[in-house]
Amino acid sequence: MGMATDFGIKIEGVSHAYGGGQGQLGTNTLALKQTDLLIRHHEFHALLGPSGCGKSTLLYLIGGFIPVQTGSISTQKGPVTAPGPDRSIVFQNFALFPWKTVLENVMYGLQKKGLPEVECRDIAQAHIKLVQLGGFEQAYPSQLSGGMQQRAAIARTLAVDPDILLMDEPFGALDAQTRRVMQEELRMIWKKRPKTVVFVTHDVHEAVFLADRISIMSARPGRIEHQIDTGLGPERDESTLTDRRFVELGEQIWRLVREQAVLASRGGL
Amino acid sequence: MSTLSPAYNRDRLLQALVLAGLALVWEASSRAGWVHPFLLPPLSDVLTRLLTDMQSGAVFVDLALTLYRALTGFAIAAVLAVPLGILMARRRGVQWFFDPLISIGFPMPKIAFVPIFILWFDIYDTSKVIMITFSCFFPIVTATYSGTSHIDKWPLWSARALGASEGELLREIILPLASPSILTGLQIALPVGMITTIVTEMLMGGSGVGGAMIAAGRFADSVGVFAGIIEIAILGMVVIRGLDWLRARMLVWHPENRAH
Repeated sequence: MGMATDFGIKIEGVSHAYGGGQGQLGTNTLALKQTDLLIRHHEFHALLGPSGCGKSTLLYLIGGFIPVQTGSISTQKGPVTAPGPDRSIVFQNFALFPWKTVLENVMYGLQKKGLPEVECRDIAQAHIKLVQLGGFEQAYPSQLSGGMQQRAAIARTLAVDPDILLMDEPFGALDAQTRRVMQEELRMIWKKRPKTVVFVTHDVHEAVFLADRISIMSARPGRIEHQIDTGLGPERDESTLTDRRFVELGEQIWRLVREQAVLASRGGL
Repeated sequence: MSTLSPAYNRDRLLQALVLAGLALVWEASSRAGWVHPFLLPPLSDVLTRLLTDMQSGAVFVDLALTLYRALTGFAIAAVLAVPLGILMARRRGVQWFFDPLISIGFPMPKIAFVPIFILWFDIYDTSKVIMITFSCFFPIVTATYSGTSHIDKWPLWSARALGASEGELLREIILPLASPSILTGLQIALPVGMITTIVTEMLMGGSGVGGAMIAAGRFADSVGVFAGIIEIAILGMVVIRGLDWLRARMLVWHPENRAH
């Protein structure tokens, strides 16, 4: 541990262009340009930037959902070429399997690992308890509130015990109170079960509250413009919100993000 | 609305009364001679005929034949059309090949093929079942294709990130996600199949409700023709209700089956 190889995700010279496919008019849209980023092992890393800056694209590239065009992305397991259970993801719209109960949703990834049914059930139950959904094992997603659905999605993702946890604005669809509770719980779960987390958001305070390090992306074409260590320590709770460092960081980062958002709006968006 | 609420029960009672009223008007207009009994025989005569035919078993033979033909053709169509619809949505080459054929076939009145099918397959059950399969095929393939191609990528990506292979994705994720659309396609195809069954029976003969009706018509037996209409109405309702029930059973997870 602690050697030069002790990284979580290594992103080198990654560019990505959308569109311009067969039968499409117009030129390609460059979403990412020559992006370099080193995410440390078991670090909670937030990707922050104005909408359209390519932060979700970068996350999907790490997930292996879209193929890397230029540059390279690698983890401890080697270069990323396809999606896999070592890099599991939570989406903004939960993406639960609506025909499966909460328990069946959480068991799915475990069954794919080839674990015996009894073990799948036990691990799934434990994770449902972890996200405080005990008692809702037999409910279908459509019977749950947005916050509960997202808890179920987080349980499903954590249950397969991925090395890397990718989160694509996971609390973006939730109301303000639920979002705050979920942020505290996520940070708590992460402390209990450390993982490399890449958390995409456009909410400055969410990024500061949750992350150890924040990468601020530039307006399109996206690239990492600034990197900031929050230095807020491992404990995050209600008191963090009034911490002087938290307030200052919030203002400082807000100015940096605003610059990029202004650039983005001048870019004719 | 809950099926147990008093408002719901009152509504159903009123609807039943309207139906009974219409039946009474039918009976009266024929009995009173407002309409010639040959053009509209009294309902009571029709029901008596139905009862006699039930006692002799003739009704059940016809109903069973019609049902067997309709469901066989429908089932074959489903087995062919559902996989093809999914393949079209998932494989560009398959879509490229079949899309023009289905675009032509879907709006075409399939019944126009009856003379050709008689020529090719004769007038017996094979020919009828092929005709029914042919007419059920297009609504099912169209609904399956459209449902499968409009699936969100998010659950698919989630499944891939949880370790599902391409084949598992198809069976375990895409098929259930497309199932509401597929069932809608089946629900559109089933009445089409019933219509085709009756019409082919009328044109090709060989008993069944359609065959019995056309035979009754040829013997100027208007009571027999109206008895056939009632048989078809009941058979159609039972079969379509059965599919509705199946949908509710299969989609217990779907918000459409959640009473609020």
